[in-house]
Amino acid sequence: MSLKRITKELNDLGRDPPTSCSAGPVGDDLYHWQASIMGPPDSPYAGGVFFLSIHFPTDYPFKPPKISFTTKIYHPNINANGNICLDILKDQWSPALTISKVLLSICSLLTDANPDDPLVPEIAHIYKTDRSKYEATAKEWTKKYAV
Amino acid sequence: MKVSGKLAEGSDEDDESLILDFESDSDVIDDVDNESVLLGRDNDVNDSSDSSCYESGDLSGNYLGFDQREKVLNPGFGDNTYDDDGVPKLNYNCLTTDQIYELMVSRLERIQPIFQLSYGDIIVMLQKYAWSEERLLEDWTEDREKVLVACGLEITKTVSKSRGIQNHSDFLCHICCESNKQKTFRLECGHEYCVECYEHYIKDKLPEGKIITCMSCSLALKNSDIDEILGDNSSQTLMISSIKGFIQKHSKHYKWCPFVDCNCVIQVSNLSSLSEFPRLHLSPYVVCENQHRFCFKCGLESHSPGDCQVAEQWVKLAQLESENLNWVLKNTKECPKCGVNIEKNGGCNHMTCQSCEYQFCWICEQCWNGHGGGFYECTRFKKDEKLGTAETKNSLRKYTFYYKLFSEHENSAKLDWNLGLTVEQKVKVLQENIGISWIETQFLSESIRALIEGRTTLKWSFPVAFYADPSHNLTKIFVDNQALLVSAVEDLSQLLQVKEPQNIIDRKREFYNKARFVETRSKALAGCGRDLLCKGICVPFQ
Repeated sequence: MSLKRITKELNDLGRDPPTSCSAGPVGDDLYHWQASIMGPPDSPYAGGVFFLSIHFPTDYPFKPPKISFTTKIYHPNINANGNICLDILKDQWSPALTISKVLLSICSLLTDANPDDPLVPEIAHIYKTDRSKYEATAKEWTKKYAV
Repeated sequence: MKVSGKLAEGSDEDDESLILDFESDSDVIDDVDNESVLLGRDNDVNDSSDSSCYESGDLSGNYLGFDQREKVLNPGFGDNTYDDDGVPKLNYNCLTTDQIYELMVSRLERIQPIFQLSYGDIIVMLQKYAWSEERLLEDWTEDREKVLVACGLEITKTVSKSRGIQNHSDFLCHICCESNKQKTFRLECGHEYCVECYEHYIKDKLPEGKIITCMSCSLALKNSDIDEILGDNSSQTLMISSIKGFIQKHSKHYKWCPFVDCNCVIQVSNLSSLSEFPRLHLSPYVVCENQHRFCFKCGLESHSPGDCQVAEQWVKLAQLESENLNWVLKNTKECPKCGVNIEKNGGCNHMTCQSCEYQFCWICEQCWNGHGGGFYECTRFKKDEKLGTAETKNSLRKYTFYYKLFSEHENSAKLDWNLGLTVEQKVKVLQENIGISWIETQFLSESIRALIEGRTTLKWSFPVAFYADPSHNLTKIFVDNQALLVSAVEDLSQLLQVKEPQNIIDRKREFYNKARFVETRSKALAGCGRDLLCKGICVPFQ
């Protein structure tokens, strides 16, 4: 059943691709995808391309997909391993959500970080106290790792 | 706060009378003092009958209103907070999750008139408010529309479609992406998915005990919806998970029985007396319906004569000091004489080697004859003079010594438990064959209970001995008492090893005497241990 749904999502992505995101299987395994997100223009990540890996659980869509960044990124809600702290990837997941919607949510997380529920408290602290320093570092990292 | 309080209990006759009583009282009192007296009176009411959940601060205890029974059991207040031995009285109930569920349902009947909604709706709201009627009522009186939306009972933009299972000839479900679906489910929001997907979705969510919403929006599924999709009474699973969440959140008032596979919940209603226990170096023991005795404060099994602090430190230490120790010591030993490996399969520590017939003590591995007459020397820790200089090494040795004893008795208690089961089975056979009545064999289960309780007391007396000052005279008395209990327990344990069922019946009197002896010795040891704690001779340290 999950295969049918994943195939449908793949077709939908091909037919109507969301702006600034793309996703598709890595090889023959439909349960393992790679995705890319363009850094949103109104963010310090502008100009960068960030890659993510997506693993679908066998009981998808009843369980959320496992998504992590493979490109290094400086963000209060994304840690050094690329893990993302996003509610819809955890307890707020709903079977009605799709990869496309999740990628869009990650895009908006890049524009608007959530420093009150941080995964990396150090970055969150800088984000809250010295926004320009945060933006400078994020830009630097983007240049270094994502361009 | 007061207003909502009265509202909550609007239909509660008992509470009504309290309020009336309270008002008539205040009439007599001078106006000037009214305020303070009112407050004082208020507190009295709370402490004594525990019927009111409107104490300032923590309101969690009585959301479900289970405490009507106490009032009957304990009509007066003030004088009966301690029992004859000076132990604070603990008012508690033992409930199973099913009973809690039933009480919850009966509670609903009482609060329904306030909301004028269906039970299903109220359940959803209570779940959202973690069963706090107080908070719910406060918000409800303030802005009911907001509460309804927040709980997923109403949506802001109404699509107004019919709710429930729908029939189709060819439906494409967007969750599983299968077409040709015949049966679907939707709420008023109009988000429609096949019943199979809803089944899967709900089953995953049931153990979480939270409100289950539509897969696409925040509109809540009610219990009737869940039952419609999954079949009758499926929603009860959700309710029980929800109760479990409630109990976890309110662990101050409710505790699960820590014994394996026991489903009981203990609810303590007079928390004020709970705080009395540590001061007196006592522990608030409760007994669940399955006769499991445990400490309400720390959640461990009965750990008398030690108090919670001793138990806590001891457990911490045990975790630090390697789990291996446990394994090495627990299972087998070589016969001190012929070296054959011996596995202990009963509780008794009087061992007889099957190979060379050497009789020895399992604990100290010395010849048994030395134990026969007087005290059991092997429970006395002898300081090793040679290692006296190396303080740390000696303290580890001391710990190992006591831990060994502790785990020996723990293991023995388990084996005794099994022994008890087999003996009981034998007696059952006897009952059927010879026709002895059930009542006549009760002495056996009583003896086994005494034995296990004796062993538990003994077991927990070693941590006390470990932390006690060994040079003090009272510690010496404590150790002597320990030895007496060891001998009493071993005697009883040995008696239970009797193979022939007929023999057991014949020795009934002996069972009674020995069990009673174990009981008195346990009590004496517990008292002695408490003395050590109260006088500061036994101080659990890090």
